[in-house]
Amino acid sequence: MNPRKPNNPNNDILQPPMAAASSPFRKRQQQVRKKTSPMKKSRIVDYLDHKFLSRFINDQGKILPRRITGLTAFQQREISRAIKYARHLALIPFVAQDTK
Amino acid sequence: MSVRRLYETTYVINAALEDNDVEQVITRVSEYITNHGGTIQETNKWGRRRLGYPINKKFNGFYVHCIFDCAPSVIPQLDRFFILEDNVLRHLTLQLEEKLRTFRKTRAIAQAERAAMLAAAEAEKTAGKH
Repeated sequence: MNPRKPNNPNNDILQPPMAAASSPFRKRQQQVRKKTSPMKKSRIVDYLDHKFLSRFINDQGKILPRRITGLTAFQQREISRAIKYARHLALIPFVAQDTK
Repeated sequence: MSVRRLYETTYVINAALEDNDVEQVITRVSEYITNHGGTIQETNKWGRRRLGYPINKKFNGFYVHCIFDCAPSVIPQLDRFFILEDNVLRHLTLQLEEKLRTFRKTRAIAQAERAAMLAAAEAEKTAGKH
């Protein structure tokens, strides 16, 4: 039986909490920062609010990926849809040519 | 027949037009909606704004946002009307959820309050200086 497996009943004996803390693998996992949400849950995405939407595009005008925005899947879908509506109405550019 | 839904439409009018001509376009659109059995609840004129990118070699547009309710069958007709209207550069009609509407209202109130607070603080500062 693999002692590292979490369901091993001998886990507590083989790997006391002290040993777990000193393991380099465990340590790195603990350091992973929890993402803070850039958007409150109560906030509704409004496609006419270009100032709010501009937080989720880069200065070229591209939609930022979820790994950078840190949004939930649902929020990211809402945001990307709203950005596309806003682009159609020329509230925000498709491509920003003049990045002065 | 009796189905009525709440819609919002945003359209961009050519800003090179005179103010009366812009008004005429707005009245034409709202008349079109009312003539087809819709009732307009709100019309917000945002005014002239710089476009995010040039449309038909124009750099500015007059934005109008309008909330109305009507039968769903009117929407494709309205869409066609907008396409035929040369002075409308862009238009977008969507169903408006009540949630979004209340959210916008509450946010507008909050922003107004914040602005008022800031203005009051500024006024106090200037009063203190003098």
